[in-house]
Amino acid sequence: MNVSTMIPELLEALPLTLAIMFVALAAGFCLALLTTTFRVRRVLLISTLADLYVSYARSVPVVLQLFIAFYGLPVLVGAFGIEDFLSANLAAMVGLSLYHGGYLSEVMRPAYLAVDRGQHDAADSLGYTFQQKIARVVGPQAVHIALPGYGNSIIYLIHNVALIMYIGAADVMATAHLIMARDFNQYQFETYLLLAVFYSLLCLIAWMIIRFFENRASIYTLSNKPAKFSLTASV
Amino acid sequence: MLELKNLKLSYGTSQILNGVNFSVKRGDVVSIIGPSGTGKTTLLKCINYLVKPTSGTIDFDQIRMDYARPDKATIQAIRLRTAMVFQQFNVFKNMTVLQNVMDPLVVVQRKSQDEAREIALMELDRVGLSAKKDQYPAQLSGGQLQRTGIARALAVRPDVMLFDEPTSSLDPELVGEVLKVIKDVTSSGITSILVTHEMQFAKNISNRIVFMDAGVVAAEGSPSEMFDAPANPRLAQFLSTELETQ
Repeated sequence: MNVSTMIPELLEALPLTLAIMFVALAAGFCLALLTTTFRVRRVLLISTLADLYVSYARSVPVVLQLFIAFYGLPVLVGAFGIEDFLSANLAAMVGLSLYHGGYLSEVMRPAYLAVDRGQHDAADSLGYTFQQKIARVVGPQAVHIALPGYGNSIIYLIHNVALIMYIGAADVMATAHLIMARDFNQYQFETYLLLAVFYSLLCLIAWMIIRFFENRASIYTLSNKPAKFSLTASV
Repeated sequence: MLELKNLKLSYGTSQILNGVNFSVKRGDVVSIIGPSGTGKTTLLKCINYLVKPTSGTIDFDQIRMDYARPDKATIQAIRLRTAMVFQQFNVFKNMTVLQNVMDPLVVVQRKSQDEAREIALMELDRVGLSAKKDQYPAQLSGGQLQRTGIARALAVRPDVMLFDEPTSSLDPELVGEVLKVIKDVTSSGITSILVTHEMQFAKNISNRIVFMDAGVVAAEGSPSEMFDAPANPRLAQFLSTELETQ
């Protein structure tokens, strides 16, 4: 057993790790959008629940949120008559989606509020409906403001995917531990180093995608030239 | 065509509008003047409900609303027949000059892209911005931004144009180009209400002047009555300090 044969073994766990990450990304985004809507346009009770959810997602440690999802999910589906339901992978998806959604909502809300009041006034005065105003004027400007913060929350999500091994999901971290235990704890340093490279690459890709959109949106801010590209900055 | 009655508005404990009565006839060019903080801009923004008066009524041709019972459809009907030019320009930052003028036509009035573009290009030509049509707001001067705002307002073909201190946040050397465009607009016969601190300009283009003080209309009349022989002592005092500084 050596490091080169370990890599394919680790890569086998990659699809599941990525699947959990992408589900959390997509579901978290939708959750954040919904939550932000209710936190900006106050609706009785629903808005208060949205506030509570965001403060849960932001103030409870992610590991704890994962345990709560893992043990809470069976209780929840048990209420619908399904017994003995225990899935680490599903719990990881639910837990991380809830965490990411709440965290992202606190990126979206300030971005929405940062759009100049005058932009709202102009759209209102011209007879735009609320939906048209958001879709045409306020939304695109808020997206531009939110991009750097969104990039950060994606990176935090990627990091926190490494925690799902605590509830027993077989991601790359858990797999690495299995391999090391099987191989009499050899190559520990190399294995962890490999994982570090793996997570760095994921973050770098995420950062490059966000940076691409940031540059594209920079036409309508003060700078006419896009920011310089480098492989190391901000990640 | 437009009449506001007994308009009242307060922010917290401070009363901004204290029972304003104000009316405009078709084709009128009315300038609202007065010291800062007397509610001129607020009055203008009550018309299209960008601020919410606590009481009062509006009559706009056949449209009627009691501000104590605001109603979405009526507000929208008023907004579709008015257009506002803002002190801070409020040009949409995520759109080019041409897109700014076209967008309300396409989104709100449901015109085709081609028709909207044709109207937009015509209005941009009218304000002298054809050459800048593909620039983003961040690349324009204040005067160009305000002319974009005027073109956007004109393009929707409003019954009433609302100008809210259109030159107050411009550098002095850019005021002239904007005033020239406004003069061209008001002399074309479109009903206009203008809040301004440009006294000489107000005198030249208006057929009626309204002087507001402490949240009410303190005096109104023709430009010659108001500027050459002000009967109201507060107006006389205001004009002497204004003209001194200009």
